[in-house]
Amino acid sequence: MTIPTGSGGSTGSGGSTASGASVAGPVDLAEFRAEVQRWCRENVPSDWRRAQTGASAEEFAAFQQDWFQQLRAAGYAVPHWPAEWGGGMPVAQQVVLYQELAAHDAPRLVLGFVSIHHAASTLLVAGTDEQRRRHLPAILDGEIWVQGFSEPEAGSDLASLRTVARRDGDTFVVDGQKLWASGAAHADWCLLLARTDPDAPKRKGISYFLMDMRSPGVDVRPVRNAIGDSHFCEIFLNGVVIPAENLVGPVNAGWQVAQATLAAERGMTMLELAERLGNAGFRWLVDTCRTPGPGGGRPVDDPRVADRLAELETEITGLRALCRGLVERHEADTAGPADASVVKLFYSELLQRTMDFAVEVAGLPAHAELRKPASSGWESGAWVLDFIGSWEWTIPGGTSEIQRTIIGERGLGLPREPAASA
Amino acid sequence: MSDVAMSESELAELHRELRVVARDLLRRNAAKAGPDQTYPTVDWSLLVDTGWLGLEIPEEFDGAGATFAEVAVVLHELGRAAASTPYLGTAVLGVGALGLLEAGAARDELLRAVAAGEQRPALALPTGDSDGDVTAFRLAAAPVSEGDQPGAGRMVVSGSADFVPDAAGADRILLLAADESGTPVVVAVRPTDPGVTVSDRPVLDETRHLGTVVVEGTEVDPGAVWRFRGTDPAASAASARRLLDRAALAVACDSLGLAEAMLEATVEYAGTRRQFGRPIGSFQAVKHACADMHVKITVGRELLAAAVRALAAAEDPAGPHDQEISVAVSRAKSYLGAAAVDIAGAAMQLHGGIGYTWEGGVHVYLKRALLGRSLFGAPAAHRARLAARFTAL
Ligand SMILES: Cc1cc2nc3c(=O)[nH]c(=O)nc-3n(C[C@H](O)[C@H](O)[C@H](O)COP(=O)(O)OP(=O)(O)OC[C@H]3O[C@@H](n4cnc5c(N)ncnc54)[C@H](O)[C@@H]3O)c2cc1C
Repeated sequence: MTIPTGSGGSTGSGGSTASGASVAGPVDLAEFRAEVQRWCRENVPSDWRRAQTGASAEEFAAFQQDWFQQLRAAGYAVPHWPAEWGGGMPVAQQVVLYQELAAHDAPRLVLGFVSIHHAASTLLVAGTDEQRRRHLPAILDGEIWVQGFSEPEAGSDLASLRTVARRDGDTFVVDGQKLWASGAAHADWCLLLARTDPDAPKRKGISYFLMDMRSPGVDVRPVRNAIGDSHFCEIFLNGVVIPAENLVGPVNAGWQVAQATLAAERGMTMLELAERLGNAGFRWLVDTCRTPGPGGGRPVDDPRVADRLAELETEITGLRALCRGLVERHEADTAGPADASVVKLFYSELLQRTMDFAVEVAGLPAHAELRKPASSGWESGAWVLDFIGSWEWTIPGGTSEIQRTIIGERGLGLPREPAASA
Repeated sequence: MSDVAMSESELAELHRELRVVARDLLRRNAAKAGPDQTYPTVDWSLLVDTGWLGLEIPEEFDGAGATFAEVAVVLHELGRAAASTPYLGTAVLGVGALGLLEAGAARDELLRAVAAGEQRPALALPTGDSDGDVTAFRLAAAPVSEGDQPGAGRMVVSGSADFVPDAAGADRILLLAADESGTPVVVAVRPTDPGVTVSDRPVLDETRHLGTVVVEGTEVDPGAVWRFRGTDPAASAASARRLLDRAALAVACDSLGLAEAMLEATVEYAGTRRQFGRPIGSFQAVKHACADMHVKITVGRELLAAAVRALAAAEDPAGPHDQEISVAVSRAKSYLGAAAVDIAGAAMQLHGGIGYTWEGGVHVYLKRALLGRSLFGAPAAHRARLAARFTAL
């Protein structure tokens, strides 16, 4: 075609490659989908939801480890890692994988979430070769990680954290308290932020450590959360010794390293979560809307319900495209500074709206669903618990309010707030 | 359409270039608008000179042989500028309809005349929320009266359509009509034909020119009745439906463009306007409102891109089928129609008093966003189409 652009130059002529050929990559997506479907039919345990409902902490952890190894054997556990470490799956294929896992109601990797995302991306971005060699294969073998950032006095204002690490020869000695550390009770290792220079400006005196949770002086106490689980914990640190070789990045450069982990949490993890929302959460919502209520009528025949369903489906479609675009831009190194925040904010609030609506449609019977299966993340189908659980996405990893500030300042270039007096 | 396929990156580069040129042209044009006019007028000669009119016209008829994907770029920029132009009625709807018709001397000649800027067609199709009937006009055999020549095969067409984009001033009105068997066809009439009345339909959005087309028993000869490609009733109905999808999607492109313009204007203003000793953009209430505008635009852009891709590939045998196209269009139109109004409204709020002045011009965008939300299907109507997939058993 010849398109007049008015610029005088001729554009868009000449020999060109066939369009679309490069998109799918070497692997045929339809074939891959069939392969994943076959794998899911053979491997997703049919009764796992029942078995995981009311499971003990040990049963939960054992089940998660088994499931992780099954995924690993199929090459599905860490598709987003670089090829040399056992990943390397093209984004288009990852999307298919996540779609099919969701469509087959597969368990989620709840226990290994921080290990395969936050820990791995930290090591890949900022770790030494030695650290990568030590931990990446170990993670594949089931090593569990926890993120020890937040403290009682340092949540949104993370940089004001008070846990200190004092240099002592070839080691650091750590004292302080961490809060809200998800999965700490099961963790082997901790991504730890601690203050190494109390006199430097807040962000310039923090270092990033890999801490062995078996070290003397580490004390973990579970905190019961809003849905009644004890997944997040307090971690007390008393004279914990960390070898200096477990520093990630230079001393006092921990803040920058932390940005890498936070970016992973905000953006990259959403690829799977968005597909779960589209292919599991929304599908169940449609089922709920089509199930006749006590009066015999189906909620979906109420035009207001139908309208909301269409609206949510439209937003979920937008979310999925957004997530995919983010991962692709991230890989091409063209992502904008607030792109991940846009995805995190939109995902978490859309999830909350969707669950809220599901609770409303499901009515009183949903309130009698007293427990949800472990290993399911939010998407259990016990709508009231799932709705309450949606705050697990709007609060951590930077609250929605913090994301809006990031989008405004880093994304749109709006003026910063005046610094508060310290 | 050209047979030279372009790679995705070549296409992206082409779109970028088209966008830059369009934006620049429109900006320079805006400077020419009169003192009382707060939006640019893009006159006919500019549409001709830029080649935008003929983007989708095949090269054999002196057009550019491009697709809706390129037209979407222009629509997006026209929306950003809130430009007043007959592009929608002529190049998007008129040419869009002609492109779906069987080739024929009269149709081909009209396409060539449009590419040259000599003829201005408009397409009269339902503009509201009715989902069932896509044709607003009826075509029937003319009653045979005493003195008639036998076998002339003359037909009469009747009906009316309201809020037709760029109807007034068009040389040719293309009526989307149902023939006697109910199959959609296009009937070409002139505003001067007996029984045809085309009148202005002023709306609050001054940047759009809508009209009412009333046709009362106008006689046409068979040469003015043009059939959709494929001619069979089902294919023709799908083509008629496609025209409505195209119209809705065109408006969605415009909505995205104007929403972007409103966010940019607001961010710029919030960075310079000071109150309480600091730029208002440093207040979270303002900043977070801008962040929400940005999120909506980002989501809307994805939905729009998917719909444009689908519609532009409609003729590709390996492309999406009709249902997929309609679904993608309804998502984009419902989301962006509503989002643009929210965003223009927030822009008015965040500009304070200046945002409410005539001269400030935010109202131009708000009115255009509001009209766009209603034109070719309100969000609720499009969501009803989407929801039909959930209600069906
Ligand atoms: C389920 C869950 C799991 C978690 N897992 C982990 C984990 O594994 N590891 C870890 O380190 N942490 C974890 N967290 C902690 C989480 O990161 C913090 O809770 C979060 O950053 C908010 O900090 P806060 O709780 O101290 O709330 P605060 O910072 O006190 O915030 C309270 C309210 O004030 C608002 N607010 C605060 N500052 C501002 C501001 N500048 N502008 C506007 N509004 C503001 C917040 O948005 C919020 O609404 C988890 C939290 C939850 C709920």
